[in-house]
Amino acid sequence: MSGIAQKLASNQKQVAISEFFEKNKHFLGFDSLARSLITAVKEAVDNALDACEEARILPTIKIQITKLDPKKDIIKLVVEDNGPGIPQKSIEKVFGQLLFGSRFHAIRQSRGQQGIGITGVVMYCQLTTGRTTHVRSKIATEPTAAFVDIGLDTRKNKATKANAGREIWYNEDGSSKEHGTEVTAQMKAKYQKGRQSVWQYLRMTSIVNPHAEIIFVDPEGEKHHWSRVTERLPTKVESIKPHPHGIELGQLQRMIAESNDLNLNHFLLNNFSGVTNRARKELCQAAELEGTRKMKTIKGDDIRNLLEAFQGERLFKGQPAKLLKPPTNCLSPIEEILIKKGLSKTIDSRFVTTLTRVPNVTQGNPFQVEVGLIFGGTMAGDKPVEILRFANRVPLMYQQGGCLLTKAIESVDWRQYGLEQAGGKGVPKGPAAILVHLASTNVQFTSEAKEALADNGEVMEEARKAMLEMGRGLRKHLEKKKKMAKTKEKFELINDILPAIAEKSAQLLDRPVPELAGSITKIMSAVISESTTVWNKETKMVDVDIVLFNYTSRARAYTILATWPEKSGATMESNETGGRKEALGVWAWKLEALQPGERKNITYSLRGLERGDWTDTEVLFRGSQDVIGATKMDEKFLQEIRRQEQLELDNVADEAEANNDVEQLEATPLEPVSEQHIPEPVVTPPEGQRTLFGGEN
Amino acid sequence: MSRMHTPEETKAAMHEVVAEMYDRIVKGEPPTMTLPVRTKNNIGFDKKLGVYKYGKKQSIRDATSLGSAKQLLRALHVVEFIEEMLDAGKSSTLREMYYISEAWGLGKFGSQNESNNLAEDLEIVTKCLREDFKLRPEEDGARMIGNLTLRERNRRGEWMRINARDDVGDSGYGVPYNVELEKIELLEHDIDFIMAIETGGMFDRLIENGFDEDYRCGLLHLKGQPARSTRRIMKRMSEEWDLPVVVFLDGDPWSFRIFASIAYGAIKTAHISEYLATPSATYLGITADDILAYDLPSDDLSKKDVEALNAELSDPRFADSWWQEQINMMLELGKKAEQQSLAKYGLDFVTETYLPEKLAELGLA
Repeated sequence: MSGIAQKLASNQKQVAISEFFEKNKHFLGFDSLARSLITAVKEAVDNALDACEEARILPTIKIQITKLDPKKDIIKLVVEDNGPGIPQKSIEKVFGQLLFGSRFHAIRQSRGQQGIGITGVVMYCQLTTGRTTHVRSKIATEPTAAFVDIGLDTRKNKATKANAGREIWYNEDGSSKEHGTEVTAQMKAKYQKGRQSVWQYLRMTSIVNPHAEIIFVDPEGEKHHWSRVTERLPTKVESIKPHPHGIELGQLQRMIAESNDLNLNHFLLNNFSGVTNRARKELCQAAELEGTRKMKTIKGDDIRNLLEAFQGERLFKGQPAKLLKPPTNCLSPIEEILIKKGLSKTIDSRFVTTLTRVPNVTQGNPFQVEVGLIFGGTMAGDKPVEILRFANRVPLMYQQGGCLLTKAIESVDWRQYGLEQAGGKGVPKGPAAILVHLASTNVQFTSEAKEALADNGEVMEEARKAMLEMGRGLRKHLEKKKKMAKTKEKFELINDILPAIAEKSAQLLDRPVPELAGSITKIMSAVISESTTVWNKETKMVDVDIVLFNYTSRARAYTILATWPEKSGATMESNETGGRKEALGVWAWKLEALQPGERKNITYSLRGLERGDWTDTEVLFRGSQDVIGATKMDEKFLQEIRRQEQLELDNVADEAEANNDVEQLEATPLEPVSEQHIPEPVVTPPEGQRTLFGGEN
Repeated sequence: MSRMHTPEETKAAMHEVVAEMYDRIVKGEPPTMTLPVRTKNNIGFDKKLGVYKYGKKQSIRDATSLGSAKQLLRALHVVEFIEEMLDAGKSSTLREMYYISEAWGLGKFGSQNESNNLAEDLEIVTKCLREDFKLRPEEDGARMIGNLTLRERNRRGEWMRINARDDVGDSGYGVPYNVELEKIELLEHDIDFIMAIETGGMFDRLIENGFDEDYRCGLLHLKGQPARSTRRIMKRMSEEWDLPVVVFLDGDPWSFRIFASIAYGAIKTAHISEYLATPSATYLGITADDILAYDLPSDDLSKKDVEALNAELSDPRFADSWWQEQINMMLELGKKAEQQSLAKYGLDFVTETYLPEKLAELGLA
C-alpha cells in the first residue's frame, strides 16, 4: 500500500481530498454505492479482527446496517467489537490519519496489506453525507469509555474532532462493557444482496476466521449469526527481515541510507533473512565489495552491484551466492481442521476436504496455499461451483475471472474427480464450493483494486497441486459412498431378505426353515470394513473403531491404514492393536490371517482435539482381495504426503542451520525482531508519516 | 399348447419354483429362480406352431444382489397370495395385487411394473396362464364392429347373444379381458375378413364411411399395442372361422412391432405365443412404399425411430426379405407417415381408393 501512501502524502497539499477520492475511488474501493458499503464494513471488521488477534482476544463483532433515507441511499453503519480498545489519545490518530499503523512496515502476513484503512471510511462519510464518524472505545484498565466524533474539514483538508468525552459503556443486558471499540458512520451507499454483498463478505470472513463470532443485522432487521467454532486463535505470526531475492533497488537504497550498521558485513547479516556467514562472504565477493566497507561509502553502482549479487546476476565462483530460504513462521495459515469447521458451519454439505500445503517461497517471499472443498448437501448441482478466494484471510469478491486462484481451479480437469466441466476446462459445475487461500508476506495483485491475484508460476503450481490432491479426496469420497451403499445393501440382503426367503419358502413347502450360514458366505463373498469416528464427551477424545469382517471362504491377510489428524497435534491413545506410523497422519496395522466368518476390531482414541475437529476417518488397505468400505492404498498419495513431510523437515533444518551459523560466526548480538505483545495497546504513528491532522506528531 | 390348469396343477407348478429356492439354501448356496432370457436374442421360430417362442437360453436370478433377492422374496409372496385366492375362489387385478403387496413388508413391490413383470415371470416358469393365477390385467380389450355374432357369459353367469353390428352402438362391442371358452363362444358371421386398425380415429372413419358393410369385414380397434385379450380373440376368430386377418397401422417402426406381436408373437409373451399370435395375419399398410406411391404427408424419423428400425433389422421376426426391404426403405427415406395422412386426398380417399387398392392386391376386394 505504500503506493497509495506516497500518493496521498504528495497530493495532499495540492489536491482537495474530495478530488483525490473522485480520482482514485476505483482502487480505494468506493467506486460504486454498493461497493462502498462493503469496503466500509471490511475496513472496520478487518481492524477489529487484527486488534483482537494481536491482543489474543476471541473476537465477537456486531455489524448493523440501517437505511436512514432509502430515497437518497443514506445508510447508517455500526460496527462493534470486543477488541482491546484504543486509548483516548490514539483514537484520533487511528481514525483521522491515513495509513496509520505498524503493519505497513513489518514483513509478515497481515490483513492490512489491502485497503486504505478506516480513515478512508471517515473521509467517504464526510464527503458523501457531511457527517462525522462517531467512535467509542474502551480499554480494560480504564473505568470508562472514550468517545469522539471524527470528521474532515474539506476546505482545509484536515481532520477534525468534536464532542470528545467519556462515559460508561453499557451492554444491551445492562452490564458494563470491559473493552472494545464501536464505530458509527453515516454514508451514501446501497445495500445489496447476492454474491457481492456485505452478507457474502461477512460469510466469507467467517469461514476463514472460525475463531470469530460475527453477528449481522441487515436493513430489513434480519439477524445473521455466524458462530464461533473454535477457541483457537490464529497463530501469532513473527515478523521477518526481507530476503535478498525479494528486494528492489529503491528499497535497498533506502535500507543502506538508513543503516546504522558498522559495515557491509554487519549490514548483510543484520538486515536480511537467509543470509548466513557463508552467504555473506559469497555476496560480497560476487558484488566485488569489501565486507569491511563503511555503509556511507556504498553508493550508486555499488548498490546496483549488490542488488545484482542478490538476484544471482553476479556470480560467486560461477554460481549465484547460496542463500537460505526465508523462514516461514511469518505465515499464519488457517489450518486444515479450522477451514473444515469454517466451511461446515457456513455451508450445509455432506463432505468437506481441506488441505494446507507446506510453505514455499517465491522471489524471496514466503507463501502458503490452502484449499478446501465442500460437496453435496443443499447446494445446487447444475450451477458452476462457488469459488471462495482469500488472500491473507481477506475475502476477494471482485474480478474472479482474472484471478490466479480462479485460474488454478480452472486448470484442473475436474471431470476425473466427479464434477462436471465442459471440455475439462473452466469453472466446474456441481453441488460444491471450492476455497483457496493464499497466505503470503507479499501478495501480488493484478491492479491497485486488490481484488485479483497476479499470475505467478510458483503460486499457481502449489495451488494446482493442492487442487489435484483435494480432487482425489473428492473422488475417493464419492467412490466410498457408492461402496458403502453397496455394503449397506448386502447387509440388508443377508440380515433381512435372505432369512425372509428361507422362512417363506419353508412355510409354503411345509418344511423346516433351513440353515443360512453357507448361503451368506456365498452371497457376500467379500471382506467388509466399517468404521466409526465419534466424540467422547467424558474423555474429551475422539474414539475411532474400525471393524473388519471376513465373509469369504478363505483366510485373508491385510494391512489396514487409517488417516488421523497428526498435523493438528493430536495424539493416539489406547491403540491396543499397535501398528506403526506409515507417514504423517497415516497409521498402519498388519492383520494376519483373518479366518472365514471372523471379525476383528481396531480401536483407538485421539487426544488433543476439540469436538467436531475430526469426524471422518479414512480407512485404506493393502492386500489382494478388495475390502468393501475401505480404499485400496494409492501409493502415489503416500509419496506426496512423505514429500510434503520431507519439505517441512527441510524447512526446520534450514532454520536451525541459519541459527547455528549466526551464533557460531557472529559475535555481534543480533537485535531480536519480534512482535511486541500488546496487552494494552500502545499506539504510535510511524516515523515520517503525515497525518490528516496537518503533519503534527 | 397352453391350456387352463386346475388349481391343484397350478399350485404344484408354483411349488416347483419355491422348491428351487429352498433346495439351494439347504445346499449352502444363494437361492435362485431360473427363467428363460426374455430378449429378441432368445426367440426362435417354432415350425410346428408357426410362431416365435423363447429359445433355450436361461437366466438365473440369484440372491447375490439386493434387487434380485427382493424379486425372489416377492415371488414367494405372490405364490402365497395366489394360493390364497385359489383356495377362496377369488380373483384380483394386477393393480390390486400391487396394493395388497403394501402389507408384504420387505417383499412389497416398488412399482406396478414390477408386479406385472413378476406375474409374467411366474407364468413363464410355471407354464401356467395368469388366468390360472386368478390375476386380471388392468388393460381393457379392443372394440369390434361387423356382422358377427358371439355369446358372452355376463357377470350373473347368463349367456348373452350379441351381434357386433346390430346389438351395439357406435363404439362397437367391447372385448372383455377373458375371452376363453368359459366366457366367450363364437357363434356365426357373415364377413370375408377381419381388419385390425391401430388408431381410434381411423376406426371411426371406416365406421362412418360404412366400410364394414361395403367390404363385408369385421373391424377391430387395437388401441396401439394390443392387449392380450385382443390378440387372443383375433386368433380365435381367425382359426375358428377360418378368416383372413389384415392389419392396418401407421407407417412407422413402432407399428411394425405391433404387427410382429400380432402375427409372430411378442417378445415379452413369447412363452404363450401359440396362444396369442395369428400367423396368418397380413400387413396391409401403411408401408414404406405407400409413402412414396401415394405421396403421403410425412415426418422425419427421429433418432429413436432410427434406433428402433435398426433393432428390427436384427430381430428374427423381421428376417424375411419383404420386411428387410420395407425397413431399409424407410431408413433410406428417413420418413414415416400416419394412417390419417391419407386424409390429404379427402375423407373418403381411404375407403374409396386406398384400402380397395391394397385389398385388391391380396385378393380381398
